[in-house]
Amino acid sequence: MCDRPWETMTDADFEAMLAQSVPDTPPEEIVAEVTPWRRAMNRILFGMALCAVTLNFWCLNYILPAIGTVLLLLGFRALRRENRWLGGCFAIAVIRAVYFFATLILNTTILQSAVFTPAVTTAFTAGNAVLLLGLYFCFWRGLLAVQKKAGLPARAGGALALIVWHALVCVLAAVQYGGWVVPIAMLIGYGFLLRSLYRLSGTLDEAGYAIAPKPVRVTDRCLVLAIVVVLGIGCTLGYLFGGSYPMDWQPVDTSEQAQTEAVRQQLLDLGFPEDVLNDLTPEDIAACDGALRVVAEVENYPVNDGRTVSYKESDGEGGVVSVLDTVYDVKELRLTGVAVQLPSERETWMVFHHFLWTADPGFYGTEAIQIRPAYRSIPEGWAAAGDATGRVLYDRDGQTFAAPYASLGARTFTANTVLWGEQTNTDLFAAFSLPRHGERARGYVAYSTTEARDGNILSSGEYYVHQQTWLQYPVVTAMEKRLTAAWGDTGAFRTVQDVLQFDPVDEGTETPP
Amino acid sequence: MQEQEMIAQLLQKDERGMEALLLHYGPLMRYIIAPILPDPQDREECLSEVSMRVWSRVAQFDPARGSWTAWLTAITRNTARNYQRSAQHRPGTQAIPEGTPAPDASPEEAILQAERSAAVHAALGRLSPGDRALFYRKYYYLQSTAQIASELGMTVRAVEGRLYRLKKQLRRMLGGEGHV
Repeated sequence: MCDRPWETMTDADFEAMLAQSVPDTPPEEIVAEVTPWRRAMNRILFGMALCAVTLNFWCLNYILPAIGTVLLLLGFRALRRENRWLGGCFAIAVIRAVYFFATLILNTTILQSAVFTPAVTTAFTAGNAVLLLGLYFCFWRGLLAVQKKAGLPARAGGALALIVWHALVCVLAAVQYGGWVVPIAMLIGYGFLLRSLYRLSGTLDEAGYAIAPKPVRVTDRCLVLAIVVVLGIGCTLGYLFGGSYPMDWQPVDTSEQAQTEAVRQQLLDLGFPEDVLNDLTPEDIAACDGALRVVAEVENYPVNDGRTVSYKESDGEGGVVSVLDTVYDVKELRLTGVAVQLPSERETWMVFHHFLWTADPGFYGTEAIQIRPAYRSIPEGWAAAGDATGRVLYDRDGQTFAAPYASLGARTFTANTVLWGEQTNTDLFAAFSLPRHGERARGYVAYSTTEARDGNILSSGEYYVHQQTWLQYPVVTAMEKRLTAAWGDTGAFRTVQDVLQFDPVDEGTETPP
Repeated sequence: MQEQEMIAQLLQKDERGMEALLLHYGPLMRYIIAPILPDPQDREECLSEVSMRVWSRVAQFDPARGSWTAWLTAITRNTARNYQRSAQHRPGTQAIPEGTPAPDASPEEAILQAERSAAVHAALGRLSPGDRALFYRKYYYLQSTAQIASELGMTVRAVEGRLYRLKKQLRRMLGGEGHV
């Protein structure tokens, strides 16, 4: 033993001194911690608990299972070579982790709804349930094998109960059980199960000393960091490049307007707004040949929060009251509704819903237009007469570019509303994205309707849904948001409503400002 | 079997207590002995010796001073260390490494050792829980770097790095940067 002071000790002397200076009896927390087993088991148990938890707020339904998946991965990695059952657990944990983290990244793109069709979702859900059952089964057998190796009696009832519990959950999901009593009982049961497993882990500590974790080439910390980095990069790329529709932008041929000059002039004479007319395809202009009447309505809408102003006004009784009001200095979105009466045996109108961004939309994600056609608003008065048409346009350096919508057509959807409950509707939907470096982004949707019965007004509604931020998870498109009939400025979206409504018996046009 | 029941049987010199000890705590004792004694035969002989010591000294166990596992850990580790020393003195065994303390220290050395132990103990109290556990694994359980790495899910290099920083920190706490 070297008796030199600390500062003059060699490294070897210092090591020897440390080895000789340790207390005779280790502290309790050290005794509890120094085991090759508990660390891995605790991770597995916490992982199982977190993966089973579904809290649908603050994205906890993604965050908690993500942490749980990592813990399961680390826990089973340490034990993977102990016996083939625990090796099986690790393999299943890897498969589930790859699937889960790929899903997390995919959720940052609008592709997720295209990939996860109902059939694919059902297949994945079933596959995941089977994998989870397999994981619990292998875990149970793995625990028994560890006990057998240590010469201890087999006791792993908690793990076996976990299999039964999960099988019951699968059955409830398969029969689409809608009650509350059984799920609450199952949740309470799961709590008891985890407690039982935790106690089992304690009793398994005896057997756990017999296992020998294998060396790792990559540390747990590196593995976690790698997962976090891959997730971070994947999600960033997803948000950057997967948040908008690919649009087939092509320069507009200016000579196309000349082909329909006569019809154009006819429409202008009837009061068709020129800036809207300039955006129509030759086919849509030609469809208006012989137009009898034009009805147009224009309105500018704010797509911002405005500013709050306060002012005082008389309360009518000699007093003064303070009033708070929202003032919009900018109204970025101009919505124009135009109806053109076409020559036909039965009264027929072609309705155009046109939009124009007069200012920068701010965020460029996904946009959607929902049209509630006249034949949907008043089904007894009007009937559909052909498919919807339309396109999106923008200007850049004096050149106009146009693209067909990413999708355009009728969609039947079921939505829950506070006022009307569950309703199934069929409306026209147009989905698209706007270019980041364009000006005067605009577009229109047109459809035709024929009178089914006299005496009804023509009412055609429009809902324009604008995505105003990337901050949403999972990413949904403006159209998907609208399909849930979520009203108003919800989450990442803002909805503007407009309606073209007139009595065909009256005549009249409104000149746009 | 409950721990108390086993201890009671050991106290009554009931052989079922010894069977229970080997069944339930055999893995723990083997786990502690393994890093100290590399030879499997030595390990089995040491395990027998530990069992005999527990049999004969179980009355010294005081639950008020610590858990059964901690007491058993201490007795197993100390027996293995003694076995290691005696094995090193046997003919044909390897030489005692430099710095290995002599089994019987002089009174002066004992006082010095007590002072150093107190200083190290105080320094350990200021370490993070993770570093403290690492210290005990290395200097109490005498586990190899490879074993520590496997059990903590780290690479050997990462453990060596942490141990290096730990020693440096301890030396600083104990009052000298010295030769590290």
